[in-house]
Amino acid sequence: MAPLEPWEKALVDAGTFLETTHGKMACTACHGGTEAADKETAHTGLVASPSSEPEKYCGECHDDVTSTFEFALHNSQQGYWTALNARTGEVPENHPAVEEMFGNHCATCHTTCGECHVSQPKNVGGGLFTGHVFEKTPPMTRSCTACHGSRVGNEFLGKNEGIPGDVHFREGRMSCVKCHAGAELHGTATDMETAEANRYDGMEAPKCVDCHATAAPGGDDNPMHQVHGEKLSCQVCHSVTYTSCDNCHVAVSETSGNPFFETDATYQTFLIGRNPIQSDERPYAFVPVRHVPADPNAYEFYGENLLPNFDSLPTWVYSTPHNIQKNTPQNESCESCHAEDVSIFLTADKVKPEELAANASVIVEANPPLVDLEQVLSAPKTPANHAELVSNSCTACHTTGIRNAPLSPEDHAVYKDDNCLGCHTMAK
Amino acid sequence: MNKICEIEHNCEVTLSKIRLILLMTVATLALAACAAKPPTEAAPETEPTAAAEETPEAVVSAVPDTECLNCHTDKQHLIDTAAPVVEAEGESKGVG
Repeated sequence: MAPLEPWEKALVDAGTFLETTHGKMACTACHGGTEAADKETAHTGLVASPSSEPEKYCGECHDDVTSTFEFALHNSQQGYWTALNARTGEVPENHPAVEEMFGNHCATCHTTCGECHVSQPKNVGGGLFTGHVFEKTPPMTRSCTACHGSRVGNEFLGKNEGIPGDVHFREGRMSCVKCHAGAELHGTATDMETAEANRYDGMEAPKCVDCHATAAPGGDDNPMHQVHGEKLSCQVCHSVTYTSCDNCHVAVSETSGNPFFETDATYQTFLIGRNPIQSDERPYAFVPVRHVPADPNAYEFYGENLLPNFDSLPTWVYSTPHNIQKNTPQNESCESCHAEDVSIFLTADKVKPEELAANASVIVEANPPLVDLEQVLSAPKTPANHAELVSNSCTACHTTGIRNAPLSPEDHAVYKDDNCLGCHTMAK
Repeated sequence: MNKICEIEHNCEVTLSKIRLILLMTVATLALAACAAKPPTEAAPETEPTAAAEETPEAVVSAVPDTECLNCHTDKQHLIDTAAPVVEAEGESKGVG
């Protein structure tokens, strides 16, 4: 997105804007200032971004949105704090340094009503979209991907060389808000107790099967959908290579006094890992994982050992790449995943030694064995009450017969405990 | 006879005076009735004015900020008055 000229950022289209509802209000009702011909006097008391105080300036008409927006991730940036709190361990004496770092480097990603609906985000230079006309639907490339650009935007729009854009954009010309509804973006919580901890907290939204209902387990006769059911997130089979990053370090420039960052590397990956946030809403055993540029020394400019609990979160994280395709290299055949070649999985050898502990929950030990399709579909389900068992070792009972457990067939000897639920899915 | 006439004359004068006083009293009362109207009758006249003030006229009326619009709808004026751009060299490296 090309930056706007200074005059362009502030130009009001009188012919269009004054015909809109907002255009019928006095400028000073929102922007304050002083009625005068010269710029300096006119800008005395100017409120450049009224929606920085949404309740005061927007709430009178849009209270359905402003009442929840305070607790929405776009405003609260709670997703940052959830990760920071886990890795910093919330050590009280480190709080000032962490908060200073956050204010310098993270808080710029905060957004307001106006930065989506009337102007480009300040973070990318600001400037009115269309002569001050308020856009109910934010323009995708000047709003959404202006911030969410280096990963999601580039993937969705097909800007990564040699990798096609998302089919929803390429074929359907869908914009972000076709899937990400206003309630998701504006938030639904009315207090911090019930607010989302990050973007993957709570209900899965958007959910592919809301539109592709037949792809849900039992929904169609595609054996891949039936066999993999809830074991794989849709992106495991339907996304392609996406961006990962390494080693972000932040500091304040000695020469200019401006905050800056450095990331060591940006590269394309497609790796399937274990789901580190498995839940009822996201029951998948395997998901694509993306390396985030977290580093144990990322904030050393601000203080020593500010991330003592660095290993509490993986650096290869649950990911939903936005480059969905119907046909992908991995869904061409069963052998893409069920073979000796484990290159598609996040195995320990692909993780930096110093990050092995942090990624223990996502590393795949061995590839899933190739099993006859009919055998999978006819495998008896695991009784629902097994979910309460403390041990995850199926073989402890089913190879010994203790607790009157039925013995597994001889040809199952090659399978490990991790494999069992792949065929013997849990009964509901 | 003279005395009787004198008495009759006096009576006529007295009656005329009484009539005059009565006439003046009635006229005074009539004028007073016309001049002073009860305050309750004036209220309906003020109500429409009060109602007009309660409309959101002040919010949605024609924009009074002519100075704001004079400048912000004039491309050349904005170019002429824009603060000079200070090109700060980006010190960040890599993808943010």
